[in-house]
Amino acid sequence: MTIPHTDVRTDPGSFRDPANRVFYADGEVLRGLDARAARDWRALSASDFFPPLLAAGKVCGTEAVEPARFAAVAGAQWAAVLRHERIPFVSHPYEWSFGMLRDAALLHLEILRAALTAGFTTKDGSAYNLQWRGVEPVFIDVGSFEPARDGEPWAGYRQFCQTMLYPLLLTAHLGVDFQPWLRAQVDGIPPEQMRRLFTGVRRLLPGVPTHVHLHSAMQQRNADAASGEVREQLRGAGFSRELALAAVRRIERLVRRLRPRHVRSHWADYQRTCSYSAADRAAKERFVELALTAAGPPRLVLDLGANDGRYARLAARYAGYVVAVEQDPAVVDELYAALRADEQRRVLPLVLDLADPSPGGGWRGVERAAFATRGRADLVLALAVVHHLAIGRNVPLAQVVDQLADACLPGGRLVVEFVHPEDPMARRLLANKPAGLFPDYRPDEFARLLAARCRVERRVELPGGTRTLYQAVVGG
Amino acid sequence: MHLAYLDAGSGSLIVQAVVGGVAGAAVAAKLYWRRLTARYRRQRTDRS
Repeated sequence: MTIPHTDVRTDPGSFRDPANRVFYADGEVLRGLDARAARDWRALSASDFFPPLLAAGKVCGTEAVEPARFAAVAGAQWAAVLRHERIPFVSHPYEWSFGMLRDAALLHLEILRAALTAGFTTKDGSAYNLQWRGVEPVFIDVGSFEPARDGEPWAGYRQFCQTMLYPLLLTAHLGVDFQPWLRAQVDGIPPEQMRRLFTGVRRLLPGVPTHVHLHSAMQQRNADAASGEVREQLRGAGFSRELALAAVRRIERLVRRLRPRHVRSHWADYQRTCSYSAADRAAKERFVELALTAAGPPRLVLDLGANDGRYARLAARYAGYVVAVEQDPAVVDELYAALRADEQRRVLPLVLDLADPSPGGGWRGVERAAFATRGRADLVLALAVVHHLAIGRNVPLAQVVDQLADACLPGGRLVVEFVHPEDPMARRLLANKPAGLFPDYRPDEFARLLAARCRVERRVELPGGTRTLYQAVVGG
Repeated sequence: MHLAYLDAGSGSLIVQAVVGGVAGAAVAAKLYWRRLTARYRRQRTDRS
């Protein structure tokens, strides 16, 4: 019997492989499989390599459900339907730090190696095959596995280069942040673009001669050769599964050796050089802690401007999940490494500029959802961030308040810090702008704007006298 | 012939042989050698 579903939505990012489709029905994440994909799934679940990956949490939780329940869901007839674990907060590779992209790439290669050894492969090699559970990467594209055909190279190699290896090479070899490159091109960076960046002695840097230059040259030379024909030629010339495995192992070795060459911005030292006294810090922590416990444990906390993650960690003690957003990729990378070292599993650090958050990307701008549409939080922390937006980026104060309030669920809490114009950090930002440019940037005006959008529950001025903290209920 | 949903890219397939090390480079060399001799044979049959 087919039960009618009231709330069914197809994932706009899962159309590329027509053999399977992700959709959401009544709060569940489901994947419809056609007859062939269903056969592949049965082979996969009976294999030796897949169940251990699942048990270790390296592949997202997946189980078959009764397909009859969803037979006609999402406008297609499915031979089988899988239910996936829900990823707490979806993020995109252009929001990850270098270490995150590298660890995601290594997990993808590890899974591919396990698959190849067992006679399977992955159809693709995209960075979008991965998501995060805190600081643990998770392979989510279960529809990507299929039995390997002997003598065939990995079909996902080019995609892996474009969306993972090349971005890593950019930051490791050139000290260029990869995030804007990935954000601008959903399919990643093509080899012929990379080739132009690695000229002269840079041609010889690790991974560049083969993965960039040879790759680009081969693509140009074989532009007219059908890939089916080339597969036959390779098989005829003796390409084997062992060779495919050797290639994967070499890529793994290369990726593992890559280290970021970050240009540290001054915000990396913010926590050390900022103007807090010990008394200010203690008072601020107490305030935030009280807000976190005000109304039961929040499910999702958004820490906007997380810096070294001090408050994100504090939030993780009480919240189900914390998304810690920070603009500087180097700072996020340090935070990611620190969180992994501490085995802190409930904080997801992300690279994001609040004055330029990720827009929608890919096909019609919806294939990769914009940051603002990916979920609002039960509690938003906006500590020492208002002055960066209002003074540093000239965003009108009322709009800053709107942005912060809109990040909260209706009835959710906003914990916001207002740094007075006479505070040393605000003065530093004001010194770069003409005098009198921000007449509205005053504590009383901020309090008025906040009260217009929210019900202020608590307000504390820090002992230093130049910062005020507010706890407010949005739409309450 | 089975083709994946994703165009793997003909050049990208051949590069992987080279990435695989010496044995792989030999496979790529053999592929090119076969292409060359096939072209030569084709030219000879065309002439005769």
